[in-house]
Amino acid sequence: MVPLYGIKCAVNLITTHFGDLVAKVCECLLRKGPLTLQATVRFTELTSSQVKNCLLVLIQHNCVQAFVLELSVEHGDAAKANTQYIALFDNIIHRWRFNKFLTIVSQNLDKQCVDLLEALLQHGRLTLKQMSDRAKSTQNEGDDVILDAVQEAVIKLLNAHFIERCPASEPVITNPTKQEVSARKRAAKSAKIFEEQETLEQRVVEAAAPSEALRFLLVAQTEPAADGGKDETNSSIVTPGEKRKRDALESETEYGAADEQVVLWRVNFEEFIRRLRHKACVENVKTRLDDGAVTVLKAMLEATRSTEKKVKTDNSVPLSLNSIYEEVIKSEEGRNITFDRVRAALIQLSCPPFVIAANESYSIDFKKIIELAQNEEVESIVLKRYGRDAYRMFRLLSNSGHLLETDKIADATFVEKKETPKILYKLWKDDYLQMEKLQVTGAKRLSQFLLWKVNKNILREHVLNEMFHAALNLVQRVAFELEPEKEMLNIPRDKLINRQRKVRLLLESSHMKLDDGIMLFHDF
Amino acid sequence: MPSINTLSYRSAFNAGRKLPNSFIDDLFYHNVKFPFKNSPNPLSYFSSHVPCRQSNRSPPPCSVRATHLLPSSCRQTSKSRMSAKRKRPGPASDSVVTEHEKTVHEVIRNKKDMGASQWEMKREINVADNIITKCIKSLLSKNLIKEVKSIQSRGRKHYMSAEFEPSSEITGGAWYVEGSLDTEYINVLKEQCWRKIYGMKVATLEGIADALKRSNVSQIELSKQQVEEIVKALVLDNQVMEVKSTGTGEFASIPVGKVCYKCIGKRGYGGEPKLGALASIPCGACPQMSRCTPDGIISPNTCVYYQKWLDF
Repeated sequence: MVPLYGIKCAVNLITTHFGDLVAKVCECLLRKGPLTLQATVRFTELTSSQVKNCLLVLIQHNCVQAFVLELSVEHGDAAKANTQYIALFDNIIHRWRFNKFLTIVSQNLDKQCVDLLEALLQHGRLTLKQMSDRAKSTQNEGDDVILDAVQEAVIKLLNAHFIERCPASEPVITNPTKQEVSARKRAAKSAKIFEEQETLEQRVVEAAAPSEALRFLLVAQTEPAADGGKDETNSSIVTPGEKRKRDALESETEYGAADEQVVLWRVNFEEFIRRLRHKACVENVKTRLDDGAVTVLKAMLEATRSTEKKVKTDNSVPLSLNSIYEEVIKSEEGRNITFDRVRAALIQLSCPPFVIAANESYSIDFKKIIELAQNEEVESIVLKRYGRDAYRMFRLLSNSGHLLETDKIADATFVEKKETPKILYKLWKDDYLQMEKLQVTGAKRLSQFLLWKVNKNILREHVLNEMFHAALNLVQRVAFELEPEKEMLNIPRDKLINRQRKVRLLLESSHMKLDDGIMLFHDF
Repeated sequence: MPSINTLSYRSAFNAGRKLPNSFIDDLFYHNVKFPFKNSPNPLSYFSSHVPCRQSNRSPPPCSVRATHLLPSSCRQTSKSRMSAKRKRPGPASDSVVTEHEKTVHEVIRNKKDMGASQWEMKREINVADNIITKCIKSLLSKNLIKEVKSIQSRGRKHYMSAEFEPSSEITGGAWYVEGSLDTEYINVLKEQCWRKIYGMKVATLEGIADALKRSNVSQIELSKQQVEEIVKALVLDNQVMEVKSTGTGEFASIPVGKVCYKCIGKRGYGGEPKLGALASIPCGACPQMSRCTPDGIISPNTCVYYQKWLDF
């Protein structure tokens, strides 16, 4: 489920980027879930054409996906299928991260690619023709030269998986059959209750996505460029996906050259989030271990990235010591690392288990690294807000994972017995802890014990909501600081501008950092 | 005939005291006047003025009791007699333990090293508060019981038979002095522990305890459990981490699977952990976060914490 303040943030973003009308439609979809055009018109009280245009803008920018829900035959007439629209919350929030995405491309590819990606981020979806038209308007060179350059950049971006083919405009989704429903019900009992809705969004996205083979394929170019297939050649493992890719190459005639001009391209957010996730992992390990271990981890990430199927992968593909070493010496900082140092670094990495070793092969434990980073984030909030004693208590409960009694907590954390319940109560009041009362009837009197626990799933939702709230506050404050009325105050102009510049820098950099935290809890 | 008023006082007076009816009859027969104007509660008047009997064997003569309650003009005559009676629990009976004292002592002794508070005693034996207080006083003066401080309820007095030492549940264990936590001592020990672990790179519990013993940090020898408590607190402080030995590399001298302790990261003792993204902005530490709304009284535009933060 999307946290409450997450929706508010998304609406704020859409308002600043596309105005109030679009934001209204978007908010309606975010709050009410998937809706048909008619239903949207009814809820927003706008005219049909207004809603239509707003939806088109949102679809153009990949914030909304249309789909057809086909009711299963049991319900009678199968023809009754309406197009529904679902807001893609993640894609809306990604709009905050465009600068981060551009930085990644500028670190990996040339300026031409950065320009092209910027255009795609700005316009949402573009055909090859539109891309070259845009390039023509800014550069004074021959048509062919520009077209070639654009095509080259597109190929580079495709090979790095930074851009992809747009998904199908209206995928058909069938209602889950009875078996599926009952299976899901059983799963929902053990898992979280809000799983249901998320699966619909995921299912729509999944159904709309082009097949893995076509996703990163530019039809005009059958042979990837020389520096292109780097990703594939680097990994020694042949995945089933690659085989399918080859199969698809043969069937590419379906997508003839005539189609080529109409094919829409867009930014592949997934790849960027994956890279940011890897970066966050490296940063987290960096604070604990030395540079050698970090270099080895980086090499492992580089070698296994292309084989990751989804962003939230728990473990990477296992690699042998030899292939890790091969990858390490490719990088600049890894060139002076010996084979033995790699082995030592791997032992170091497996101590708090960042890397799992089994049968002489090693795989990265993403889940563990991300979990540690999440814990650190929450703990630092507790430390800052409630003090060191509370920090110790919170860590005790968080590490133990089960209910503990007040006096036991006081003993373990060296806090006065009288103070302990007060601190715990504060944490409980702000939803950081769960409390349970236990009444025991003793020989003569009724005694009551208070038991405390950290529920990580609930806590994660809570912290994420607070983070979205804080992010919204930062955005609002920036807008407030830059209000034009401020100029009317009795402050000298140069002083005001100087202050505004500093405030904006601080607020926006804090926002970027906070967004890293949000990704840690929401996307990774 | 006693009036209705006196009857109700009479029954109230006798409640829980088990005085012989004849004694009370006498009292009321002599038409004793209670100075209610000064003391609105007749019960409190009695409890403070009528000494309770120690045993049933020699009931005091009614006249004595009554005269004590008589108006001042009549009281003069019996003053000398009364004072003689009042001296009864004097120095002569100092070594003698009365029946009540015995019961109270028994209750306290039965509690062993846990001791008992006055409230607990009252629950166990059905005797009036003032008697218990008195018994406790005399038992204390005879050194049969002692007063101890309990960490559970520092305000309430706690008594224990003289032959017992208070249990750790009462004193709070080794880390408590006079019923309160000895934070200074704990902090010194924590820092010393951290230094030992830092010096050893990877340390087992035994190693740390040994090193502490050799360096004579504490005058009192620390038990292994105490060292463990200190190290566990360091783990909770995020200064030290607990790891299992793998038997290779830095763990070469430690058997596989044994729990060891390692200092965390590159920061020194007392170093703050990395500040998180939310904790580094005012909202992270804001106690009013739940009341903050975009256009409410508390909002980012009016926030005092922001004002301070953005004060350039």
